[in-house]
Amino acid sequence: MSNQKKRIFQIEAFKNRVVVDPKYAEKTWKILEHAIHEIYNHNASGLSFEELYRNAYNMVLHKFGEKLYSGLVTTMTAHLKEISKSIEAAQGDLFLEELNRKWNDHNKALQMIRDMLMYMDRTYIPNTHKTPVHELGLTLWRDNIIHSGKIQSRLLSTLLELVHSERTGEVIDRGLMRNIVKMLMDLGSSVYQEDFEKPFLEVSAEFYRRESQKFIECYDCGDYLKKAEIRLNEEIERVTHYLDAKNEGKITHVVEKEMIANHMMRLVHMENSGLVNMLLNDKHGDLGRMYNLFRRVPNGLAMIRDVMTSHLRETGKQLVTDAERLKDPVEYVQRLLDEKEKYDGIISLAFSNDKTFQNALNSSFEYFINLNSRSPEFISLFVDDKLRKGLKGVSEEDVEIILDKVMMIFCYLQEKDVFEKYYKQHLAKRLLSGKTVSDDAERSLIVKLKTACGYQYTSKLEGMFTDMKTSQDTMQGFCSSHPELTDGPTLVVQVLTTGSWPTQPSITCHLPFEMSALCEKFRSYYLGIHTGRRLSWQTNMGTADIKAIFGKGQKHELNVSTYQMCILMLFNNADRLSYKEIEQVTAIPASDLKRCLQSMACVKGKNVLRKEPMSKDIGEDDSFFVNEKFASKFYKVKVGTVVAQKESEPEKQETRQRVEEDRKPQIEAAVVRIMKSRKVLDHNNIIAEVTKQLQSRFLANPTEIKKRIESLIEREFLERDNSDRKMYRYLA
Amino acid sequence: MLLFVSVSSKAKIKGLEKIDRLFNTYANSSFGMIDPEGIEALCSDLGVDYTDVRILMLAWKLKAEKQGYFTQDEWQTGLKALGVDSLSKLKKALSDLEKEVEKPSNYEDFYTYAFRYCLTEEKQKSVDIESICELLNLVLGVQFRPQIDSLIEYLKVQNDYKVINSDQWINFLRFCKEISFPDLENYDAIQAWPLILDNYVEWMREKHS
Repeated sequence: MSNQKKRIFQIEAFKNRVVVDPKYAEKTWKILEHAIHEIYNHNASGLSFEELYRNAYNMVLHKFGEKLYSGLVTTMTAHLKEISKSIEAAQGDLFLEELNRKWNDHNKALQMIRDMLMYMDRTYIPNTHKTPVHELGLTLWRDNIIHSGKIQSRLLSTLLELVHSERTGEVIDRGLMRNIVKMLMDLGSSVYQEDFEKPFLEVSAEFYRRESQKFIECYDCGDYLKKAEIRLNEEIERVTHYLDAKNEGKITHVVEKEMIANHMMRLVHMENSGLVNMLLNDKHGDLGRMYNLFRRVPNGLAMIRDVMTSHLRETGKQLVTDAERLKDPVEYVQRLLDEKEKYDGIISLAFSNDKTFQNALNSSFEYFINLNSRSPEFISLFVDDKLRKGLKGVSEEDVEIILDKVMMIFCYLQEKDVFEKYYKQHLAKRLLSGKTVSDDAERSLIVKLKTACGYQYTSKLEGMFTDMKTSQDTMQGFCSSHPELTDGPTLVVQVLTTGSWPTQPSITCHLPFEMSALCEKFRSYYLGIHTGRRLSWQTNMGTADIKAIFGKGQKHELNVSTYQMCILMLFNNADRLSYKEIEQVTAIPASDLKRCLQSMACVKGKNVLRKEPMSKDIGEDDSFFVNEKFASKFYKVKVGTVVAQKESEPEKQETRQRVEEDRKPQIEAAVVRIMKSRKVLDHNNIIAEVTKQLQSRFLANPTEIKKRIESLIEREFLERDNSDRKMYRYLA
Repeated sequence: MLLFVSVSSKAKIKGLEKIDRLFNTYANSSFGMIDPEGIEALCSDLGVDYTDVRILMLAWKLKAEKQGYFTQDEWQTGLKALGVDSLSKLKKALSDLEKEVEKPSNYEDFYTYAFRYCLTEEKQKSVDIESICELLNLVLGVQFRPQIDSLIEYLKVQNDYKVINSDQWINFLRFCKEISFPDLENYDAIQAWPLILDNYVEWMREKHS
């Protein structure tokens, strides 16, 4: 190689500026413009997508995006104006159809145009913050069609008319509706709301306002609610078919307000068909409907609940104060049970076991049951009746069911300690007369009471059962150790532990010789086994079976009380006895004596004695004879049993007083217990705590609690705080 | 120095002597203390009625244990605290004593003392209504005339309580001090007032309705 000159390549600037032919832009635009026309004229098939895209692309590339965009706007607007005219021209029903069709066309066209102008959409438009093609198409549609003067109001009124027709029972083209509504939704939520939804809701409100006014005048409550329910369901269905599902709540709210909320009060209180009527007649279907409709409106359920509560309290109050009903305790309680069952049914079947209604039921029952202070006594009498005979032949499961129902009523009692007192008395009588239908049922109830009130409540009751069993064992022992007694009168003794059994002060009467000897033998036997105990014969209780032979040889076995036995045995040694003689020899208390003589001399079929004079009442100067002419169909005759009755006034007072006395130490014990653990506590809190602790037995009276506290202060268990007079302090 | 002490101690002994002498003037020699008769005499010498509240105040100052009796110890301590050793000085001191008792810090103490003073039997815890009424009049009558008159009227007509215990007594004072009268507007029966006052307020309200 020789030295050749190195040639340096020099790159020079392109000297020839490429000038886009100004006419180029115009030409290209014209192509695109034409394409748009063709698209709108349903002639798109002849177009080449690739070519159009390239043209648009080039325009943008060569900085003619502005021209392209504004051209698009102009062209599209022009077409839409045409379309608008054709829609306006449509007559009657065809209006919506035309609108729908043109909308579909527009969307298809828009799709193609956008694809065609995609480059601009992606580059020029974002850079210049202009509206993208698709959105532009919608906006132009909105402005030129929907908001055009001649179309806007016509569209709205057409739609509303259709809805109205449907509401009045005509069939409409739901598909068409759906499309039009969807169109409005696509155009933006403000369009949907302003151009349709708002007026729709207003018109609907007006419609339902008028309709509900009409209905309330002609229909009763049950039928009205049926109608309301139908309308509500219709509207819900309408939404699913052609309205915006998201806003279902808005139209249902309108119906609820106009048809239900505005007429709630009137419906509930409608005479002869309102809530009270439905409750009385157990109209579960109507009640359920009311519940479901009213729960949709504010305070709807509260209104039902309040009316139900006041009605229940009113009926309950009448029930417990009805003088007629008070004569029969068993009937009284049965009515309570029936009422409870009725409302339990209503709440479970119609009010879907709503807890707030259950609570309203409970508080109402608690309210009126305690209005009558004899409720505890009556409930005990009811149980007594059931356990004596009412449950005879009833299956075990059914017994449980009945007892559980009674327990529910029992739990409403505020004075459970009063019930306990009566229950003890009644149980004692049942056990001692052997008159209980089922031992299992008795024990089952004790268990239920224990669960509800704690073991202390039932410990004495259980003691009574134990005594019965122990007595049986004692009798066996007595009989086997005295075999000589098989001849002569038989003695059956029940030994009761004082304290477990209701106390009844009684003077022992004079027993006939045959019996007293026997009783002595038993006493020595018993005390021989149990030294240190004391036995006292309760002659006011107990029964005897006596074999009697009357004047014409009639033989009968008489079942009588102990007192009656003492009286009758006297006639073995005397033909005639005066009242005073009988009283003196037997030492039976006067009131009991009179009752015994009355049941033996004045009661038909049981008159084993004859009285002179033959008056109804027992006088102190009366004389008595054996009724030689006594006759009875039966060999065994029962003369007057001691049955649990309603207490007489003075007895009631006494029981009530004993209950009050028993409560005092319980209150004091509670106060001391609380103060011992808290050491210092203020007045209001003590009252609250004590009331709470004693709740399961009785409702403590704040005044009584205060009295007990003062008594405790006096006895130096507590003192008042020096600086804060409201506080009490425990003194160890 | 020594002289000074001996003079003051002499003075002390002298002072004590005077107090003792005064004591012996009224004391019952067989008991060794001033008995009710002695107190009556003291009162007449002082120129006050023996039911006067100032005697009660004197008893309080003396911290006398038993009503109607002053022991020598009590007499000595009390008169020394009063700073008196003669009858004339004692007379003057009585009016000062009134002011001392009325001081809020002392008043409640005096009031409680007045009740205790009435417990004459051993193990006695309450005072009968009659005496309470008199005591109330004596102790609170001047300061709370309308309340006391009304309360005494009530105590006499009610028959829930035959005696008043110290707890109820102390609350009478609080009642007078705290509750507006006669409207009794700020009385709240739910609060820890003794039941007797609840009943009194109810009685008052019924009377005025």
